[in-house]
Amino acid sequence: MLTADYFDGRTTRVRVVRLEVDGGNLLITGEDIDRRVPVTEVKVDERLGRAPRRLRFADEAFCVVGDLNALDALLSSIAHRDGWVDRIQRRARFVLLSMAVCAALAVAAYRWGLPWAAEIGAAHMPAGFSVELSSQALKALDGGILLPSRIDPDRQLALTAKFHALRLPEGGKANAELLFRGSPQLGANAFTLPDGRIIVLDDLVTIIGDDRQILATLAHEAGHGRGHHGMRMLLQSSIVGAFLAFYVGDISSLLAIAPATLMQARYSRDFEEQADGYGAAVLKLNGMSPGLLADALDKLSKSHKETAGAGYLSSHPATLERMRHLRSL
Amino acid sequence: MNQGTEGDSQGGNPSAVAPVPVRFTGSGAEYFGIWIVNLLLTIVTLGIYSAWAKVRRLQYFDRHTELAGSSFDFHGSPIKILIGRLIALVMLIAYNYTVRIQSVWTLAVVGGIGLIMPWLLRNSLRFRLYNTSWRGVRFHFRGTVGRAYRVFLMYGILSFITFYIMAPFMHQRVKAYQHNNTWFGNTQCSFHAGVGQFYKIYLLLLAAAAAFAILAGFSGVYGLFIAATEAQKHGGRVNPYDTLKAVVMLYGITILVVVSIGPVFRALMANLIWSNTRVGEHRIECNMSPRGLIWITVSNLVLVVLTLGLFIPWASVRMAKFQLEAVRLVPAGDLQQFVDADPDQVGAVGEEAASAFDFDISL
Repeated sequence: MLTADYFDGRTTRVRVVRLEVDGGNLLITGEDIDRRVPVTEVKVDERLGRAPRRLRFADEAFCVVGDLNALDALLSSIAHRDGWVDRIQRRARFVLLSMAVCAALAVAAYRWGLPWAAEIGAAHMPAGFSVELSSQALKALDGGILLPSRIDPDRQLALTAKFHALRLPEGGKANAELLFRGSPQLGANAFTLPDGRIIVLDDLVTIIGDDRQILATLAHEAGHGRGHHGMRMLLQSSIVGAFLAFYVGDISSLLAIAPATLMQARYSRDFEEQADGYGAAVLKLNGMSPGLLADALDKLSKSHKETAGAGYLSSHPATLERMRHLRSL
Repeated sequence: MNQGTEGDSQGGNPSAVAPVPVRFTGSGAEYFGIWIVNLLLTIVTLGIYSAWAKVRRLQYFDRHTELAGSSFDFHGSPIKILIGRLIALVMLIAYNYTVRIQSVWTLAVVGGIGLIMPWLLRNSLRFRLYNTSWRGVRFHFRGTVGRAYRVFLMYGILSFITFYIMAPFMHQRVKAYQHNNTWFGNTQCSFHAGVGQFYKIYLLLLAAAAAFAILAGFSGVYGLFIAATEAQKHGGRVNPYDTLKAVVMLYGITILVVVSIGPVFRALMANLIWSNTRVGEHRIECNMSPRGLIWITVSNLVLVVLTLGLFIPWASVRMAKFQLEAVRLVPAGDLQQFVDADPDQVGAVGEEAASAFDFDISL
């Protein structure tokens, strides 16, 4: 025998009733109530922790049962079977398994799924979108962190001509536009916008000096453009950001930002290696040594010794290892 | 702590019925199982299951919330929530895409979202309330669409163009719209807090923020930023170490502000709003301790970070327990005589779209 609270579904009146099973029927008896409901017409709510469970009848009336063990006994006598999600979410073994699978999926998604999705996404991104995005970014940087270049315009033209004369492994010649800018804050640096345009900073040209070594750096940058690295980074950080906002969003959006930035570190390393490989291939194809890129890196790393942290190499990790690899090619 | 005196000082009610506390009986360990299975199924179904997960989550919390010996219940259909989520997702993508590229379409999309938002918010209130019940009697939201546009759109624009001087006014109007249009069965709720009381809390918040700004000034964080801008202006190189120091300090102060002013504001607001809400003749009292809320918020934050998120279920349960158990109902009579109203059906689109845009109007 089992007691429950009975509600008619129309008023908040509580009636204390007794529940019994009699053959194929559930008997509900108590204050002003004497109902007999076929067990097949009773809908039983899933078990959620120790919350009272409801037995619902077709006419919106229902019983609330607080004694969950007694209810289980009654339900087993009518051969009721809880739903599978209901069952697994309170078995320690399945809960631990779920935890392990979630963790494994998270690692796999981060290691393989995300780069794969970003690569597909970047490759299919309409060209107009990349151009628009890059122009917006450039507009925001120009006049702020980027100043007009002080490099002689003839030198700029000469470098551009030499760069556009480079033959590329996939056929054709380098055609990315070079944008010369100065920036005391960013120092000796070059970066590639999502649409492939390359921003070359004055300090990079003056510190490296040698045209062939500058070309090697530009070939490396062309590798970033070829691999859509800019767009891929953007997509990856958007996805990671969106996911973290969803995951810890209830706690604080502040928390969501920091890890998103930290998690970018390993991608940029993969991208640098790819760009080095591409740059080396371009150099070889044009009769130059991949060692030129290593020489350029060497000069940059020496110039950055005194201003630790800021500049080209902070976004280009493990420089020594890269130089060694390039010279071995 | 001062619940006794609070009750006595407001004792304008001749029939001395004892206040009925809200109790929350959920436990973190139990909820963990539900949460992790929800998370797993959401991942393996690429998010589709999240609608079912949401129903289960709301049911877990509602069914563990108890008033006068009876628990609440949630009846929302996962399919409706899923449709709502899809619509929200489309809006979110359109918004992100157009805001990034900034064209004529940006204005159209942002304007379009702004135009349908009041309608979505109103529908989300209808869906949420209609699908919540106590003792088998459902809540209802009867706010009109016209009023939703006035409150959310017109007052929203008004508070924006007055540099948020009118924001507390808008907040009061939003709460009045929500609570005056809420019905429990055929019993209407009412809202009694005036605009002045909202301004008082906002001014307090502003004073606290000013105090933090001054504190930041003393800590020298501005000095570092000024030095950096000066160096930049003169074409010099900024010492990256100073920049880092300034950023870390700024981060520290921001976190301090978020975890102290935020909870104090939320506690004071909850107390104001709920203590001035009535269900028919029955009064509600809310005595949430701001200090207690700071403690829960900070300790949750720390533990969630340290456990890489595994503490989230315990954090949610602790927060729900703390907030819900601050609330008491002061009955003016028998709680057995509420009667259900005529049923009406609403869509879930509003609620989902609103929650995806993180439009928290904190019910």
